[in-house]
Amino acid sequence: MLLLRLAIRNLTRNTRRTVLTIMLISFSLTSLIFAEALTLGMLDILVNSVTKNLVGEAQVHKPGYRENLDVDLYLNETDQIVDQLTSDPAVQSVSERVIAGGMLASSYNVATGLMYGIDPAAEAKVTQLKEALITGDFLSGKTGEILLGDELADLLEVELGDRVVMTLSEANSGELAQALFRVSGIFHFGISAVDEGVVFTNISQARQVLTLTSQQSHEIAIRFHDADVAKSKQAAIFAQLNNDETETLSWLELNKSIASIIEISGLSSWIVGSILFVLAGLGVINSMFMSIYERIYEFGVAKAIGTTPARIAGLIFTEAFLIAVFSCIVGAALGYLLGSYAEVHGVPMGEFEVSGIAIDNRIRLRLELYQFIQYPIYVICLTLAAAIYPARFAAKIIPTEALQRSL
Amino acid sequence: MTEPLIQTRHLCRYFEQSSDITVKAVDDVSVDIEAGEFTAIIGPSGSGKTTLLHLIGGLDNPTAGDVLLNGQNIAKFSAGELSRFRRDHTGFVFQSYNLIPVLSAEENVEYVMLLQGLDAAKRKQRVAETLAQVGLSEYGSRRPNKLSGGQQQRVAVARAMASHPDIILADEPTANLDSKTGIALLDVMKELNETLGMTFVFSTHDEKIMKRASRLIHMVDGKIERDERKTP
Repeated sequence: MLLLRLAIRNLTRNTRRTVLTIMLISFSLTSLIFAEALTLGMLDILVNSVTKNLVGEAQVHKPGYRENLDVDLYLNETDQIVDQLTSDPAVQSVSERVIAGGMLASSYNVATGLMYGIDPAAEAKVTQLKEALITGDFLSGKTGEILLGDELADLLEVELGDRVVMTLSEANSGELAQALFRVSGIFHFGISAVDEGVVFTNISQARQVLTLTSQQSHEIAIRFHDADVAKSKQAAIFAQLNNDETETLSWLELNKSIASIIEISGLSSWIVGSILFVLAGLGVINSMFMSIYERIYEFGVAKAIGTTPARIAGLIFTEAFLIAVFSCIVGAALGYLLGSYAEVHGVPMGEFEVSGIAIDNRIRLRLELYQFIQYPIYVICLTLAAAIYPARFAAKIIPTEALQRSL
Repeated sequence: MTEPLIQTRHLCRYFEQSSDITVKAVDDVSVDIEAGEFTAIIGPSGSGKTTLLHLIGGLDNPTAGDVLLNGQNIAKFSAGELSRFRRDHTGFVFQSYNLIPVLSAEENVEYVMLLQGLDAAKRKQRVAETLAQVGLSEYGSRRPNKLSGGQQQRVAVARAMASHPDIILADEPTANLDSKTGIALLDVMKELNETLGMTFVFSTHDEKIMKRASRLIHMVDGKIERDERKTP
């Protein structure tokens, strides 16, 4: 109690210095919470762009298919695989796809692209293709429907209802095959590679063109009830469907560049946090030393009348702890207020691309509970660590030398 | 015959100012101080009186020699042991700025007893007693900056005696006080000495202290030049 009483009163002796120190630490904490929430918000955009737009949260392929998208490497008896997947409680929905690269020609231009044959109803449960439509209608299952990305439509100079011809190789035989489509819809995902190089048709027609049966597909995209299942690969299907016939990978494994960005962003948070904390720590050391130098005579008297070095150090640590606690309260409150505002209204960042994914001009922050528990604990530990040197200095003050100091 | 309260034996404290200059602040001092004495260590500036006072009070470690308080040799104590020794056995009054500025007069007096671990009731009782003994019962709640210099020194005396030390060491306690306030402070200390038998040792230039002291130890160049006991 004595230490606490003394520490509180000492901190209120030079209110301006104490407030400045608290501001320094609390703003560092606020900045860290804000920066972390901003990073999480940006990652959400990246992850959603990947998982909700085309990739899904996991995919099943024939082993080796992903290396060069060989049309001959297709999954067989896919109804059994789909049954196995849908019986897994972690799986929410699945979508079969038939994929082939080819040439797309309009009356005005020619382009290369990937044709995705999809089941419209199943695809709508796995990705946001339906929501990405900017004009026209989603696939209804009728022969001849095709969805184009807006950039590809511009390149081919086609609009809704225009005809396009897809030329591709049949599976197994390698014979050239052609199919005529009419543009039924145009989509925009904000991912350049998709918007300028992917088309969607009905899976039945795609199978027909490629001479595949209704039990054969190139890819099965999966969505889980909990997106984190894919990250940790907790679902049983990751073990069951990785064998000689099937390869099941999470979106992180399918998008190494995004996985790297996520990893780097975690590291960058640590670096930013470390820099902020080191600066705040130096501020604490400076402030504590100023406070100690002002009180050297006083420490001399205190030691002369029997205060032990440990108690002197305890006083400095108590003062540092109080500063840290106040800073955490202020910093966390400020972080919450600013973060909550930016969570709703977003932070304008301009338009830019990360790994081919266009980031919206506003990033909505994602606040997490751990930012308000873990980071304040770090702040308290760091402040106490920063106080070790001043506390040691104060504890070692020699009373006879301190008492000779002129005031 | 009872053992003296304080005994120094060939006590030396040297300070190296440079590689070839050593200042002998206290040089081979052997002196006994009995319980209940009101002793003044006097001498010109630089004669070593404050250093001797610090050595006796365990504020400094000697270069050589021994300091025995109640037979206990404190010369070889560690910093922590010396802190505890000072807390339990000595009381200090310095020239000025004796008090912890953020604590009230009562809290300053209570401080050492808190360090000693006395219970709250005992502390409260002793605070009231000692502040009354120095005539400051009405000023207990005031912080040092609301007290005059003389009042602050009396609070320092109250704090020094509240822990019931064996000895109170006072380093030029009247140096920053006007004559009238200095006399009042000395009267308080003399009365405590006479009524409670408290042992006081001063380092001083002050004629008023010398006049009241029962013993004068004259120091010159770190050595005791003369030890003069006054007859009552």
